[in-house]
Amino acid sequence: MSIVELKGIYTAYEGGEKAVIRDLSLRVDRGEYVVIGGPNSAGKTTLLESINGLIKITHGSASVCGLNVSSQADEVRRRVGYVIQNFYFDPFTPFTVEQVVMMGRFGRLGLMNRPAREDYDAAQRAISLVGIEDLAHKTIGTCSGGQQQKAMIAHNIAKEPEVMMLDEPFSNLDFHAREYLQGVFKRMVRTGVPILMVAHAFDGLPDIPIHLVVMNQGKITYDMNCMAEEVEDIIRKECGVSGKCLSG
Amino acid sequence: MLEWLIENNVVCHALEAMIFASIACSILGVIISRMSLSSIGFTMSHAAFAGAAMGMFLGVNAQMSAIAFSMAVAALIGPVSDKAKMAADATLGVLFAMSMAVAIFLISYMEYMGKGLSASALLFGDVVSLYREEIYALAAVCCLTIIFVLAFYKEISAIMFNMKIAEAAGVRVKLVYYILLFIIALSVALSLNIVGGLLIFVLLVTPASIAGQFCFNVRSMFIVAPIVALLVSAFGVWAGFEFTLPVAPLVALLLTGVFALSVMLSFKRRINTKMH
Repeated sequence: MSIVELKGIYTAYEGGEKAVIRDLSLRVDRGEYVVIGGPNSAGKTTLLESINGLIKITHGSASVCGLNVSSQADEVRRRVGYVIQNFYFDPFTPFTVEQVVMMGRFGRLGLMNRPAREDYDAAQRAISLVGIEDLAHKTIGTCSGGQQQKAMIAHNIAKEPEVMMLDEPFSNLDFHAREYLQGVFKRMVRTGVPILMVAHAFDGLPDIPIHLVVMNQGKITYDMNCMAEEVEDIIRKECGVSGKCLSG
Repeated sequence: MLEWLIENNVVCHALEAMIFASIACSILGVIISRMSLSSIGFTMSHAAFAGAAMGMFLGVNAQMSAIAFSMAVAALIGPVSDKAKMAADATLGVLFAMSMAVAIFLISYMEYMGKGLSASALLFGDVVSLYREEIYALAAVCCLTIIFVLAFYKEISAIMFNMKIAEAAGVRVKLVYYILLFIIALSVALSLNIVGGLLIFVLLVTPASIAGQFCFNVRSMFIVAPIVALLVSAFGVWAGFEFTLPVAPLVALLLTGVFALSVMLSFKRRINTKMH
């Protein structure tokens, strides 16, 4: 059974003239590395937020980790990691990077339960894995954009998710950090955790089969496996972009 | 409770009420100021004000109706924001205007009908005429606030960090947020007689803002804000009775003075100008 299974889903925002996502079906199995590409306003972020129940699905059925997204959204969010696209933490934000990473565990801990030794250990492992040990005691608002992005990735890794979704996770990161983190995600995939990544830049994709999903105007126009080096060309072709242009 | 320390019952009651109100409001203030929901203070205070006016109009206990009306407004904030897809701040603005309109309407109508209503006690507070039951109720709300923060500390800190990230992490954001709104409604309605609808905002926002000038983490803010509020309030009560000054405005001015001083002295704002 697929870990993510969407059947003919529609998602609409209140007041919107038409559904953002229309009649979309998608299957993701354990250990898959899914890249979601497409032009702006294609519905890529909406797709991720539909999968973890942050946006209501109006028609169709969605199952994640065997749970119904519409009726068990809270439980789905406890099991799915989601690195959001835009965030800003002001310099006076009174939380250290270590505390923010720890917060990734809070959902799965349940109401009122205190973190135990294993939760602190999971947070420390995530910090080490992402390579931000030197930032652990720094307040998150005083970190650079790239450092904040790494902290948010560690926050979701600490959660030990069954599915990891990332929305343009490399937008603030340098080449070295991108390659390093792609290695981290590749290791997650090997342990069976599928990665669903919305991206506009495709450098450093791991040398494993990529499940490529291209979206346009709320629909999937391409849904097949390919190799990392083919990703950009396929997306260009699907979006009708000719010649080489800068991605980012 | 403090009769063993202060012989004068009026001063004793005023001090006790001020202590409980300042502790409860300042703790809640730490949460709402971090969530950029400071306007909840004046919305709730005016809801309590409208509720009290409604109680007087209907001839029922003003404080009970203030609590009931504040609770009703608290119950509306979350669902209205969700349903109307509006920022909570905009919802608060709408409900504030509605509460104020209800209060002014009822007060004007009662004046027109020849039933005099003194709104000054509700607007500016009246610490010298408090009943023992009111102080017990405030003590209970103060305990409830502390228990709420201790029990839901993990969820509260995640929400204070970022509501969307907390929700994505699977934290029960809505449940904790709604409990918070109810406790704020209760605290504000019960504090109305002490500092009044117009000054309750000072107790909610200023101690948290003072703590924010010096504290690098939430835990210390939850400790520093109530201590500052308690000390300033106690001093305000003493000075008010000693020099025959109105207590609530005095406390408000003292807290504002401490805030100004804390902004000037805050080491968080210092810029390192050293070359090496």
